[in-house]
Amino acid sequence: MRVVARRVVVVTVVVLQLGLVARGYWSDHKEFAFQMFPESSTWRADVVRVTADGRRVPIELPWSGYRWDELVQDRGLTYPQVRHHADAGLDNQLAFLEAALDWVADNTPRDGETRYLEATVTSWHNADPRRVEVLRSGVREEAG
Amino acid sequence: MNAAAVGAAPHVRGVSARFDDLLGRRVSMRALALLRALAGPAVLLHLQPFLSDTLDGRTYRDAFYEPYAAWYPQLPDAVYVGLLWLAVAAAVAMSIGFLTRLATATTFAIDTYNLFLSTTHFHNNRAYLVIVLGLMTVAPCGRELSLDAWLRRRRGRPALDPSAPAWPLWLLRFECAAIYGASGMSKLVDPDWFGGTVTWQRVVRARDQLEAWPLPDWAVSALTDRGFHTGAAKAIVLTELFIAVGLWWRGTRYAAVWVAVAFHLAIEGSASVQVFSYLAIAVLVIWAVPSTRDRVLRIDPTAAGQRRLGAVVRWLDWLARFRVEPAPAGSRLEVVDRDGTTIRGATAVAFRLSRLPLTAWFALPALLLPAVRRARRGGRNTVTVAVAANNPLSER
Repeated sequence: MRVVARRVVVVTVVVLQLGLVARGYWSDHKEFAFQMFPESSTWRADVVRVTADGRRVPIELPWSGYRWDELVQDRGLTYPQVRHHADAGLDNQLAFLEAALDWVADNTPRDGETRYLEATVTSWHNADPRRVEVLRSGVREEAG
Repeated sequence: MNAAAVGAAPHVRGVSARFDDLLGRRVSMRALALLRALAGPAVLLHLQPFLSDTLDGRTYRDAFYEPYAAWYPQLPDAVYVGLLWLAVAAAVAMSIGFLTRLATATTFAIDTYNLFLSTTHFHNNRAYLVIVLGLMTVAPCGRELSLDAWLRRRRGRPALDPSAPAWPLWLLRFECAAIYGASGMSKLVDPDWFGGTVTWQRVVRARDQLEAWPLPDWAVSALTDRGFHTGAAKAIVLTELFIAVGLWWRGTRYAAVWVAVAFHLAIEGSASVQVFSYLAIAVLVIWAVPSTRDRVLRIDPTAAGQRRLGAVVRWLDWLARFRVEPAPAGSRLEVVDRDGTTIRGATAVAFRLSRLPLTAWFALPALLLPAVRRARRGGRNTVTVAVAANNPLSER
């Protein structure tokens, strides 16, 4: 019984590890794939709050007692307007930015005017030409 | 159901039996005990930013985070902070080997919980640390180099068997090699990486920092030259792959370990990788042959120099490679390797230092010196001749 259990554990760990390494080639978050220093890509983003009356307010301006740089402090997202290296690759970085937009939209209850957050992202994948794309948070129903 | 039960072919049963034998073979856990002691500081260093936040009254939930799964338990702040401090205590206990199994399991559980609280917590060095802690949890690595063992001796109880089934050690070796292999392979298949674009752009963008280093102008020019990176990138990729493969064979293992240490020191000097360098270098101890006291160091106790060398070995032989035995007065320092090779004098000093974890990296290149190689070959020939003389049927 012990022999079989040992065999199962070892084979499971090996297969799982190899699977996670393979998954790293298509997943945004490359957990246990160990792809170190994958890209030299850089990015920057203009992030705005789009209010219910259509105004586009940069997140560099505090709102309703909130500050972007206090709400988002990790993964190189604190100052998105500054061009940064995408430490773990561009896909990973933009997945984090998209999640951060959603988190801020969902966790700013005193804000009664923002309908959604929007990031206009300029990215440079290694030596490729720059690319511009727009990311948006979910729509906030509480916006007046 | 095992292979025999389903009537598998004899060769399949043979492979299966060999595999089981490999996993169940009892080997020394000394390397894992040493790694356990070294892993504690890595845990403390990696917890430092989380603890620093808690001291400022913040936790991960006060800013952007992204749970992996909605069902994953989020603890009240006070409990979470308490867990982090419990991990600190457990890491210290793990390192010194006090209630070792419990301490290691606690450290592993809390570190793993914390890692999977948010996608933003994930970094390769933390993942590697969780793997190392997990495998140390299932291996009985507290029977040596531990307060537990000392307390046991003090109470007059017999020491526990320091050997155990090898499978956690083999798994950790697999993980260690897989990390270098995965990293190297991801770069090998990426034309931008293998062609040098990635490293060249990274260096060019960091030119300001490069110029702040005490480097001559020609070196800065070379490092920022596109052509240099066409070759350098390939060297980096092949280095990672060499480490991944070279660790598995005895003939290349020492070279792979030496290269790996140099590689990590170079990374540590040029990038911010948290505890990765320290942890990766510490993990290299698991590639030592898992048997202990199978080499003999003979010293003349009347010679002060040899006595001092003997003391150095006793202090630095963390992997328990050597038995130190007295030699007759007037003898030269002598080392007998596990294959019976006997070497003496300066060669023996170089060889001995190459087998101690703290001095190995500095001493290993000395083994390539022609004089040292000749002396080791001579020692081996002596063994062969002696064996042949004792066994008339053996071939010369």
